[in-house]
Amino acid sequence: MWETFGFEFVNFYLIPGLVLGCIYALGAIGITLTFSILRFANFAHGEVMMIGAYFTWTAMVLSNDLFGVPLHPLVAAAPAVLLAIGLFILVDRYFYKPFRYASTIRVVMASFGMMLIIRSFVQAVWGPNQLTFVPGIAKPNELVKNFTASVDMMILVPNKHFWIIAGTLVIMFALSWLLTKTKIGKGMRAVSDSPELAKVSGIDVEIIVKATWFVGGFCAVAAGVFLAMDLQMLETTMGFRMLLPMFAAAILGGIGRPFGAVIGGLVIGLAEELSVYPWFGNGSLISPGYKTGVAFTIMVVMLVIRPSGLFKGRLF
Amino acid sequence: MDMLIGYSLYGISLLTVGGIYAILALGLNIQWGYAGLFNVGIAGFAAIGAYTFALMTTAPSSYHYGGLDLPLPLAIACAMLFSGLIAFLIGLICIRLRSDYLAISTIGIAEIIKLFLKNQTDLTNGPRGINKIPRVWEHLTEERFYTRAPMSWFSDAQGWENFFDALPIWWWQPFFCLTILFIVFIIYTLLEKAQKSPWGRMMTAIRENENAAHAAGKDVTRRRIEAFVIGAMVMGLAGAILSQHLRLIDPTNTFDPSKMTFLVWVMLIAGGSGNNRGAIFGAFLVWVIWSASEIFINSGLHIFGELVSNMDISLLKTRAGYLRMMIIGLLLQYILQKYPDGIMPESRPVQTGEKLKKGRI
Amino acid sequence: MRKQIAAGLACYILATTAQADVVIGNPMAVTGPIPDLVAPMVAGVDLAEKHINEQGGMFASGEKFVVARADSQCDPVAAVDAVTKLINVSMVTAIVGPVCSGATIAQAESVSIPAGVVTLSVSASSPAISNMENGTDLVFRSAASDAYQGVALAELAMSKGIKDIAVSYANDDYNAGIAEVFAKSFAAMGGKITSNEAHEPNKASYRAEVATMGSATDNLAVFAYYGSGGITLMRNALEIGAFSTFIGADGMLAQEVIDQIGAENLGSTTFTTSTSDQSSAGFTAWKALADAADIPAAGPFVPNSYDATFMMALAIEKAGSADRSAISGALRSIANAPGETILPGEFAKAKAIIAAGGDIHYVGASGPQDFDENGDVAGYFSANVVKDGAWEGTIID
Repeated sequence: MWETFGFEFVNFYLIPGLVLGCIYALGAIGITLTFSILRFANFAHGEVMMIGAYFTWTAMVLSNDLFGVPLHPLVAAAPAVLLAIGLFILVDRYFYKPFRYASTIRVVMASFGMMLIIRSFVQAVWGPNQLTFVPGIAKPNELVKNFTASVDMMILVPNKHFWIIAGTLVIMFALSWLLTKTKIGKGMRAVSDSPELAKVSGIDVEIIVKATWFVGGFCAVAAGVFLAMDLQMLETTMGFRMLLPMFAAAILGGIGRPFGAVIGGLVIGLAEELSVYPWFGNGSLISPGYKTGVAFTIMVVMLVIRPSGLFKGRLF
Repeated sequence: MDMLIGYSLYGISLLTVGGIYAILALGLNIQWGYAGLFNVGIAGFAAIGAYTFALMTTAPSSYHYGGLDLPLPLAIACAMLFSGLIAFLIGLICIRLRSDYLAISTIGIAEIIKLFLKNQTDLTNGPRGINKIPRVWEHLTEERFYTRAPMSWFSDAQGWENFFDALPIWWWQPFFCLTILFIVFIIYTLLEKAQKSPWGRMMTAIRENENAAHAAGKDVTRRRIEAFVIGAMVMGLAGAILSQHLRLIDPTNTFDPSKMTFLVWVMLIAGGSGNNRGAIFGAFLVWVIWSASEIFINSGLHIFGELVSNMDISLLKTRAGYLRMMIIGLLLQYILQKYPDGIMPESRPVQTGEKLKKGRI
Repeated sequence: MRKQIAAGLACYILATTAQADVVIGNPMAVTGPIPDLVAPMVAGVDLAEKHINEQGGMFASGEKFVVARADSQCDPVAAVDAVTKLINVSMVTAIVGPVCSGATIAQAESVSIPAGVVTLSVSASSPAISNMENGTDLVFRSAASDAYQGVALAELAMSKGIKDIAVSYANDDYNAGIAEVFAKSFAAMGGKITSNEAHEPNKASYRAEVATMGSATDNLAVFAYYGSGGITLMRNALEIGAFSTFIGADGMLAQEVIDQIGAENLGSTTFTTSTSDQSSAGFTAWKALADAADIPAAGPFVPNSYDATFMMALAIEKAGSADRSAISGALRSIANAPGETILPGEFAKAKAIIAAGGDIHYVGASGPQDFDENGDVAGYFSANVVKDGAWEGTIID
């Protein structure tokens, strides 16, 4: 049906890939920071994404039911961000901190356990069924469509995708300012590069840890809400199924390199969508059944040929 | 009497599955406890073992490749060898990765293995899985086994049928369970021997201080691959036994990482990594909690429902499964904090003085 | 002291499950990948339990009919464990249904067939179940095999004048099975399958997949669970306008689909489900009961769940005792003609006939439940389209 106007590569493969990549990127930022500053792969990260989206949904429903004010998801995300960061800091205090000086495996196990606890908590409280975030079908933005059609390059992007791409850009610039211009951000980079040196130079590691959860929690909730906006619904496994591609993005970019994580996320997102483009002939390049494997393959290949990632992340 | 048999049979099934998990945990102990290899792809190796066994032993079927209808012991050996072979290939490229990186890459590889099993429909029947896998001892009652050698040497088909009809229907269950426990015991004995051998001491040395071991002229990479392959072979064996126990395997649900990988890690860490007895103990303990908790929570809810009969607790009942998961998660956190080295900590063959408390931050 | 309390409690807990009178096991996939589909099915089972106990319970003595539930999670490991507990600890007389085909086959081959316990599945539809037994007669199901529904769907597509179609199925046991049958029969009827691809369930985006498939045709046969990617796939396809006509099966048939995608976008969407003739006496009786209990009467496998539980109670009543060995024969006797027709909810009537030594023939909520030699039922299928914001089904001839 769509071959009537051409340009399908951009509209149906490139832009969806970018949107998916933005969501991966935001999740990967949190993972890469935790990985480099706290030295462990946090398997509960996807669940915080998910619970953040559930908090947002609850805020939207409450505001609508109690005050009759329908909130945009991005507004409703503000209280959700606070709750999710609070959750991260509490989890750190009671479940991760006791292992700060123990071997990595214990804290990884603890994060595995947290993954189980958070997900089953959400399933018990909100129920396992899908929740509708925004009903209906997102039609392409008419303004952009008409304008681009007039110059023979019809671009079809629904509003939700503009929000996702713009939101990711804003968060990236804010993060870049935080990490390069503020004292706390510089501290985070210092601990990430060399914890011993940072300690000697008088940086309070516990503050840095809290800041890490703050930034990680913020990005995780943003990723969760963007994912929910794109899917237009919520479910309890939505965070977990994003987790491994996000790990792949973090590794691709290099551990401890937030901007590497962004690039990694975009690459993974694009690779997944482009893998089913009919590059040769009419069929998709690889069977869509193997689409999930694309991220894993990139990740494993990267680990084998260049474990420090594209942007020379730290190795330990 | 029926009740006594029933409870005993449930006890036997706890020992059976606990034993399968114990084999997985012992396999993981070789990799993690002996050599410090952070393998999170247990489900992948178990799946290779299970599928190898299933394809080799099932009767010819139109749903999948084969079955080849080969003898069970041969298939078990092949399951181990094939798991080991795949592990060797993975080891060649991945073994030099450190801890978390190896973990993440093994997760990825396990998922790729599962995707392969899921999409190669001609070979594996895809997501619908392979069924009618013969179970050792019980398989003797199948016609295709008792009508040929060596069983046909002793009696004709009719004789065997009469013989099996005379036995109680559950006769094979204790035998199956004892066979698994015997395998656990054999692996345990071999591993204990290996741990005290020069090979085991070298492993410990590599795990504790790789650079020193390397400086002492040990081939670190080779030893690590050895541990990885041997561990994977044991996991493949466990997968082959699991496929007998379930009699149907499918790539998605049977080899779900939370039950096949995560649970095994919990067992090893709770029991005490590095300690084979700890691994076995942890496997049985965690499986008994996992399985029996459902009975207790359901009955608890039943009692609660009678106490507060004017309240509607149907919502609580439908979500009890999630509460159970949450409680298991909390229990894990408790064990991790209360027993930092597991319930049965490793006893070191060589004491190297106070272990350095080296922080990660 | 604490130990004694714990031990006492344990004894009491074990006793409560064992002291109940007539117990059947019900390993439903309460958690797992499709909890949203299973919840109304569980309600159907509970409704049957309630009706039976309200109408005098089991046997002349009026023993209580109890459904012991366990969680089979759609997972062979969990299902085998759950059914082991039901058979050996809860001492159930028979099993009424694991949900997923894989879990059903695993628990039957691993536990219930070796223990000589009858399994009556409520929704397992894999063709592999038909020929899985070896000389026993212990596995039945109240849902029709995919082998029938796939053909019915292909006929439906043909009757709609669809000449070419793309098939996209979620890579799980149920959807892969029905997609295969559909693709084969559609091609055999002279239709053209432009592409037939698996997709991984639960992905965040299917835009590229639907775009690639949509380049060849406007018609999509989508086989997925609505809760694990089905809605996302349809939404993506509609957003980019890759397809205009959709057909599919049970897994997509839910009010959720309409609520989320919007009725205005589902104008040319048809999903089939295994159902009964909605004008039949069986369905009318069931509809009244289900509406009174606020259960979706035509929901996927909800009538089948009620039927399975009800038939199991009838079979135990017919057998005259909770003894496991007599159930298989009794089940065939009450489900198959001849006998006096029993409709959903008519337990007291059936009981009286059985007590008088008569034969009964249960005609259920999901149609007549006459078992063939494999323990399968034929079943009817309905084509469901959106009307006034809800699914409305018409029977396919």
